Amino acid sequence: MTEIDLQVAKSPEVALAVRNLNFYYGENHALHDISIDFPARRVTAMIGPSGCGKSTLLRIFNRMYDLYPGQRATGEVIFDGRNVLERDLDLNILRARVGMVFQKPTPFPMSIYDNIAFGVRLHEKLNKADMDARVQDVLTRVALWNEVRDRLNAPASGLSGGQQQRLCIARSIATRPEVLLLDEPTSALDPISTARIEELLDELKEEFTIAIVTHNMQQAARCADQVAFFYMGRLIEVDSADRMFTNPKQQQTQDYITGRFG
Amino acid sequence: MSETFVSTTGWKPNPRAARRRRADHLATAFGMLMAGILVLVLASILWTLLSRGLSGLSAAAIMKPMGPPGSSSGLANAIVGSLVQTFMALLMATPLGLGCGIYLSEYGTETNKFASCVRFVSDVLMSVPSILVGLFVYQVLVAPFGHFSALAGSVALAILAVPIIVRTTEDMLRLVPTSMREAGAALGATRWRVTLSLCLRSAKTGVLTGILLALARVSGETAPLLFTSLGNQNWSFSLNRPMASLPVTIYQYAGASYEDWVQLAWAGALLVTMGVLAINIAVRVSARRG
Repeated sequence: MTEIDLQVAKSPEVALAVRNLNFYYGENHALHDISIDFPARRVTAMIGPSGCGKSTLLRIFNRMYDLYPGQRATGEVIFDGRNVLERDLDLNILRARVGMVFQKPTPFPMSIYDNIAFGVRLHEKLNKADMDARVQDVLTRVALWNEVRDRLNAPASGLSGGQQQRLCIARSIATRPEVLLLDEPTSALDPISTARIEELLDELKEEFTIAIVTHNMQQAARCADQVAFFYMGRLIEVDSADRMFTNPKQQQTQDYITGRFG
Repeated sequence: MSETFVSTTGWKPNPRAARRRRADHLATAFGMLMAGILVLVLASILWTLLSRGLSGLSAAAIMKPMGPPGSSSGLANAIVGSLVQTFMALLMATPLGLGCGIYLSEYGTETNKFASCVRFVSDVLMSVPSILVGLFVYQVLVAPFGHFSALAGSVALAILAVPIIVRTTEDMLRLVPTSMREAGAALGATRWRVTLSLCLRSAKTGVLTGILLALARVSGETAPLLFTSLGNQNWSFSLNRPMASLPVTIYQYAGASYEDWVQLAWAGALLVTMGVLAINIAVRVSARRG
């Protein structure tokens, strides 16, 4: 039995269980036999040099790769008792339950209010009062409410980059997902906006299971409960953030964390 | 230890550089000359149009319908006829062009044979001589029914407008970043919902611009109308009968031997030009706002 399986046994509750996952971009074998657990209501950070497959893994969890022909995955990603790789899985339901925030803020070409309501309307029929309450609730949770309460009907494109990214997080949690996938959510933001989003992660993890891809080692150390290190499409090591950054077991992890390569 | 940089050429004049500079000046002068000629040609057209057209552009020319020579007639029925036919053409061409452009951009990837075929046909259609389109519509909508009709004219104009709308719609939708589509899909939106609510909405200024450009293009077309809607001396609002239009009236009147008809032809030409100019300004304004 490997290290990884021991880790699984210790986890009280697992939100996403990945088993023997392989991924292909056409002929290119991008992920090799990945097995890892994402503990419920914890932050798992995925680190590794560019092109190591961490974003690829993230985009499997909500079947984002389905948008592109020629990309395929084999193995298992168990979420709430089902393998999300199953052909006949309802992707719209999966994506409502597994939200995603991207590297660059992507405000929709509509008002701040409608940016939030857009996703909610896809899955729920709410009356005006309930929708108003939902919008206020999620904007409050991402600490944006006080900044935008007077201009909810203004176009979202008028917000600053950091505000836009918080809006995108609010938009993702408005559909009440169980898992939140964050693909380098702060790499396009200034340090203050970044700090805000990191604080936000701490609060969000009380409700959501969070998987975050980051290039920023300090960010992983600050926010994550569990850290996974990827290299060349393989999972090299996964452990608690404390142990990963103080006493990694693999030499490659040690080298990457101390900045000797990557 | 630091060394002073010593150039091997120094400040000696370089004969090659001088030659290049002369060639540069020459090319610039040539470009400016050609641009000047182009502007001159356009200015001369506009000047002729204004000087000849303005004198014929009276209240009567706009308010009164066409009539026999010497009867102080006007162009009213041709103006209305042109508006009706171009509007009908847009009504037909817009849904077809939009649908096609959306298909090509959102579903027609490079590997899709059918999409490449549609794209090719649409591009060919854009450069087909407009008189061919008129002949085609004559064969299909005029000859079998035994009479000319405004509807046939509108269809001919629509055929000319569709490929323009297809091309601009596809191009504008392709400018919408992939991240927008992914963000929509990540919320659980279906593909058509992402296309309509996100992509088309982001691209709406550009798409609208394409529709206006198509309008500008077809509003001056004469050839496709010659043997479809034919022209009409009298008021007619029936789509099933021949209808007057400005371009066809200009064609008929400009060569006539009656002084007042020729003057009306110039006035009509000025009206068409002002209409197209107005559309182009609308395009610029809408593009700037988007």
